[in-house]
Amino acid sequence: MKFLHDLWRSQSEFVRTFGAMTLFFFQLLRYSPSTLVRRFSLVVAQIFNAGALSIVIIMVSGLFVGGVLGLQAFANLERFNAEEATGILAGFALVKEIGPVITALLFAGRAGTALTSEIGLMKATDQLSAMEMMAVNPMQRVFVPRFLGGIIAMPLLTAVFTMVGLLGAHLVAVELLDVDVGAYWQQLQQAMELDDVYEGITKSIVFGFVASLIAVWEGYNSVPTPEGVGRATTRTVVSTAIAVLILDFMITAYLL
Amino acid sequence: MRQNRAVELGTGLFILLGIGALFFLTTQTTGRNDFTNTDVYSVQARFENVGSLKKRAPVAMSGVTIGRVTGIEFDGEALEAVVTMVIDSRFNHIPDDSDASILTAGLLGSQYVGLQAGGSEFYLENGGEISFTQSAIVLENLIGRFLVKGRADE
Amino acid sequence: MTFHRGAITSIMGPSGTGKTTLLRLIARQLHPDRGHILIDGVDVAGLSQSGLYALRKRIGMLFQNGALLTDLSVFENVAFPLRAHTRLGERLIRLVVLTKLHAVGLRGAADLMPSELSGGMARRVALARAIVMDPDILIYDEPFVGLDPISMGVIVRLIRRLNDTLGISSIVVSHDLKEIAAVSDQSFLLSDGAAVASGSPEELKQNDTEMVRQFMHGLPDGPVAFHYEAPDYSQQLLDQGTP
Repeated sequence: MKFLHDLWRSQSEFVRTFGAMTLFFFQLLRYSPSTLVRRFSLVVAQIFNAGALSIVIIMVSGLFVGGVLGLQAFANLERFNAEEATGILAGFALVKEIGPVITALLFAGRAGTALTSEIGLMKATDQLSAMEMMAVNPMQRVFVPRFLGGIIAMPLLTAVFTMVGLLGAHLVAVELLDVDVGAYWQQLQQAMELDDVYEGITKSIVFGFVASLIAVWEGYNSVPTPEGVGRATTRTVVSTAIAVLILDFMITAYLL
Repeated sequence: MRQNRAVELGTGLFILLGIGALFFLTTQTTGRNDFTNTDVYSVQARFENVGSLKKRAPVAMSGVTIGRVTGIEFDGEALEAVVTMVIDSRFNHIPDDSDASILTAGLLGSQYVGLQAGGSEFYLENGGEISFTQSAIVLENLIGRFLVKGRADE
Repeated sequence: MTFHRGAITSIMGPSGTGKTTLLRLIARQLHPDRGHILIDGVDVAGLSQSGLYALRKRIGMLFQNGALLTDLSVFENVAFPLRAHTRLGERLIRLVVLTKLHAVGLRGAADLMPSELSGGMARRVALARAIVMDPDILIYDEPFVGLDPISMGVIVRLIRRLNDTLGISSIVVSHDLKEIAAVSDQSFLLSDGAAVASGSPEELKQNDTEMVRQFMHGLPDGPVAFHYEAPDYSQQLLDQGTP
């Protein structure tokens, strides 16, 4: 009986949190246009925080992920004498799946945690209350710029990751393993349609919304103590990872 | 104020890099559309079977790409596939009795249209049609024919 | 409870009796479950969003830790309400901000970031920010906590001086008896969410209700028990032995 009661409580708590998060999401959307127009400089600062500061980790990761894809693709295709298809394999993997997904995961780890802890800290040190007391809506001053910054940064980060990844695969396959450079790119270009690139971009846009929403929400919803902020930061990474992977499956299934 | 400038500069660089990467992805990884801007003329060819030929597949003559496939449709009347392709107008001396066949690049590679020059004195023009065609080789049919032949020999 | 215009009213009480809650109710960061809060005769609970924001522009609040915005410099922190609510030119903003910073003695710190300030300085900057819109009401949440004696003396003097020179009504929440006695005109003592006594600090000292006596004289045991609620001591010790 107690078990059932606990189960019911945790379930209803989950549903309640989900509902609160949805309402928060609508609030963010509602204030987005006015924030974009009137407080554009704040949005720019957040694009810098979420995007420009993540560029190094994105590029380094992209280079090596691309490189390892090139290695694996080559090693397996070599058995069929089809090394030239390395470009196809690495390219498709990067553009459609690995680029958007890994970028979103890295984003959660680098920018998402920073957002959550920053907002959590602002909450813990009464900065949000102080803003309300000064009759400034924290929605426009704090939450929406961070949300929009993440949304704008994600597709760009994904594009950079994918491009650097292709370069990494190119370096390994062409420079290291002597795949013909013409064959590498030509096969890729012939196999890949614009729709495949759009699929990757669609994913990155969806992931941008989800990852930014989760990061900002967890900060907003955090318990305003050092311990609470720490836990919220952890939750950001976990929730984002799960949400991104589930959504990735759903989008892929839908678009196929 | 100086810090602000650094932020703006960093953001600008980041956005330019991102847009550059997007541009790279949409243009460099997909089939190059280098036959859409230049002067081209389009011709049609009817095939019994196009196999897995796709839009933007190359059209090659003597192994050199001279054009692209721009459309593959099915003619419900004649029950044939109609392949539309564009050819660079620099190559305007292709005899109109040339022969088009659907070939495969390598064993597992993608398919393309190969043109074999004929002997006519008239050349292909915009809107023209290649009448001699050879369908794609479908592996299953080939194997099937082998089996039938083998059985007949017994 | 009534807070008088132009006076410094302090709210005292043991931890957890609802002092901060009371402040948040006044500023309507919280909604009252029962009862009403009237400011100039207007019930704050019935205000619309814009009415509330209009009210808040008339209230300055000093938070426990200052609550300076960490991504802005001291100057920008003080200028923040001005930029948000007025259309003053850059030169006028500069003038106002420097005047207010001068009033708290930190004009020289204008270009520092909040992380570079000591606790007492941060609170003085926050005070400058609280008065930059020339509010009618100033609310101080635990302004004396965690300060060294010098900073504390500075804050006490500032509270008194600002109240008298600007004609502000001040509300101070604290449990530092000495400082409260130094600044306040009237005090309330809260216990369990209700005001149990009021009067000037001297009057409260004379008050011989048990609760007031315990608080004013710092007695360890009384209505606020020394022991947290627990089962009988000897009973619990003996229980430990038997599994």
